[in-house]
Amino acid sequence: MKLGFAAAFLSATLLAGTASAADKRWDGADDLPVNPLACSAGEANAAPAAKPYDGGRPTNAADKAGKPITLVDVPKLIGIGYFNATSKGMQDAAKALGNVTVKTDGPTEAKIDEQIKFIDNYITSGVDGILFAANDPVAIAPVLKKALSKGIHVIGYDANSTPDAREWFVNQAEFNGIAKAMIDSMAKEAGEDKSFAIVTSTFTTPNQARWIAEMWAYAQKCHPKLKWLETVEAQEDNNLSFNQATTLINKHGDKLAGLFGMTSVATPASAEAVTKAKLCGKVAVVGLATPNAMKPYVNADCVKSVVLWNPVDLGYAATYVMRAVVDGSLKPGATSVDAGKLGKLNVVNGSEILLGSPFIFTKQNIKDFDF
Amino acid sequence: MTTVTLAGAEVDLRRRLKVLASQEALLAIAVIGLAIAVGLYNPRFLAARNLSDVLLGNAYIAVAAVGMSMVIISGNIDISVGALIGVLATISGTLAVNGAPIVVAWLAALVVGILVMALQGVIIAYLRIPAIVVTLGMLSILKGGLISVTGGKWITDLPDSFHLADIELLGVLPFPVFLMILATILAALWMRYSASGRAIYAVGGNAEAARLCGISQPRTIVMVFALHGLFAGAAALLYATQLRVIQSTVPPNLELTIITASVVGGVSILGGVGTVVGSTLAAVLIAEIASALVFIDVSPYWIRAVQGVLILVTVIADILRRRRMAGA
Repeated sequence: MKLGFAAAFLSATLLAGTASAADKRWDGADDLPVNPLACSAGEANAAPAAKPYDGGRPTNAADKAGKPITLVDVPKLIGIGYFNATSKGMQDAAKALGNVTVKTDGPTEAKIDEQIKFIDNYITSGVDGILFAANDPVAIAPVLKKALSKGIHVIGYDANSTPDAREWFVNQAEFNGIAKAMIDSMAKEAGEDKSFAIVTSTFTTPNQARWIAEMWAYAQKCHPKLKWLETVEAQEDNNLSFNQATTLINKHGDKLAGLFGMTSVATPASAEAVTKAKLCGKVAVVGLATPNAMKPYVNADCVKSVVLWNPVDLGYAATYVMRAVVDGSLKPGATSVDAGKLGKLNVVNGSEILLGSPFIFTKQNIKDFDF
Repeated sequence: MTTVTLAGAEVDLRRRLKVLASQEALLAIAVIGLAIAVGLYNPRFLAARNLSDVLLGNAYIAVAAVGMSMVIISGNIDISVGALIGVLATISGTLAVNGAPIVVAWLAALVVGILVMALQGVIIAYLRIPAIVVTLGMLSILKGGLISVTGGKWITDLPDSFHLADIELLGVLPFPVFLMILATILAALWMRYSASGRAIYAVGGNAEAARLCGISQPRTIVMVFALHGLFAGAAALLYATQLRVIQSTVPPNLELTIITASVVGGVSILGGVGTVVGSTLAAVLIAEIASALVFIDVSPYWIRAVQGVLILVTVIADILRRRRMAGA
């Protein structure tokens, strides 16, 4: 009886499976408009629709242009490798600028109520500017608005607040930038005309769906021969991701030349599946992940490119943006800002500064990061 | 009067065990039949590598289901096991990265597993609080405690020797599969032939008769939970050592998958009936279905629906069977 049921179920699902068309958007992509970047770095990108400045403004901020300023950095939490890295970037920038003092202080757990208390205390004790990475974009807004009302400059990085609660936000990566880095890496490692599959969290997770949609658009434009086999869902679960990646390897055999990991869980799990199948060098793994989880695979030459952004550069840029705001060189309506060794960074989405192309961790540089 | 009741219970038990043998046979047929059906659609499914991977990646569920089956047969339930496996994996991994001898890191998972579960057994058996309430409380404590203590920080840089799941016995048999088979056989024999093992069925099937037989219900329940903790610890080790990263979070819905394996395996939710051979076969079937769905291009989200249907079919069959027996 159970067998009969299983057979009936399977035949029903087989019919459903064959109904899906081949040439639609990849599974897991959303239906929003896409904006693929230019194929090579030399070409100009299509200019996105200009959006007016939508950030906030401090009330009667003291004019400290060119004068020494004291900043406090309140990340989501302190004591973890990622925010140690952003903090290091801020210190590097402070040293390079010479007239900035910045101190990192914040909760030891990523809790919004704790973070609000820290910011409130620094408003009371008095600083020239606050840098933050929000634990909650909405809940943090009132205390940031309070800071603005006391004439304190407010710049966000890593995790945004509602735009009017801060002046600028340093955006570490845009969807189309990540998509380009992922597809370019895959085409280079697996081959221009090879087949790949995707391991994602779920088809409806917003960030992943956006990245996959942009990857689809960019691949059609710049690597049209790259062949997408399928996308599988693996929640954010380590063992399920591993099992799904293993199943893809077993299902497609020699046809599979690459796996994309769309989450920091799926990427190391896919790398582990490729390692266990003894297919390192035959199946390329490209994905979003944090360096620590990927070190074993990168050091073993099983994974060549881990796509993310450089948190040291992110902290560095946030500090330069703050200096530029205080000095009056970054005003609403500006299209770029000078960020020291990072060069000119572009303004996007009204009041965001784009850090630049994503950072690719490789065997050469991955040892320098601890998060 | 008393002896008559007991003799009746004995006959009843035998008949039930016979029926269950067919439940296990059904599961075995389903496992093989599904493999053939999917193999016809995509022959790669039947590759030795794939079949071995299906077992390897899910052996920990079968191991945990052995303990869960004992708990359910004893007339209880445990919904804290998924969270406990997450906690035990984190404890073991933390010890391993901080330089503790690997054996200590492994043993810690087993010992803490036994202690936590035995504590729950004591509360359930001696304070007479329903298992669902106690284990629901423990689920929250473990889940909240884990995220508070670790801050969700992943454990990386695990030493190579920590990876128990990578061991291959005689160069072919992966350790997780070996452990799954060993745990199932030992538990099945113990529950079938030893007095203490049979006491689990007695306590879950007819608590009053068990008491009259001189079986201590509270002691049996504590023993069952302690053993369940041991199997949860073993499952946590397989879970923790399969990958190079421990997430320090509670694996989502793991307890449901484990309970599903037990129930689909023929363990009666009313207690007193079931075998661990059935739960292990069911765990294999569920894993096989999950893999099959990818091979036949169906969203893995269907696995939830399939699990649900399997549970309903088995529970309804169990209830109907009991009614028929009660009517006879």
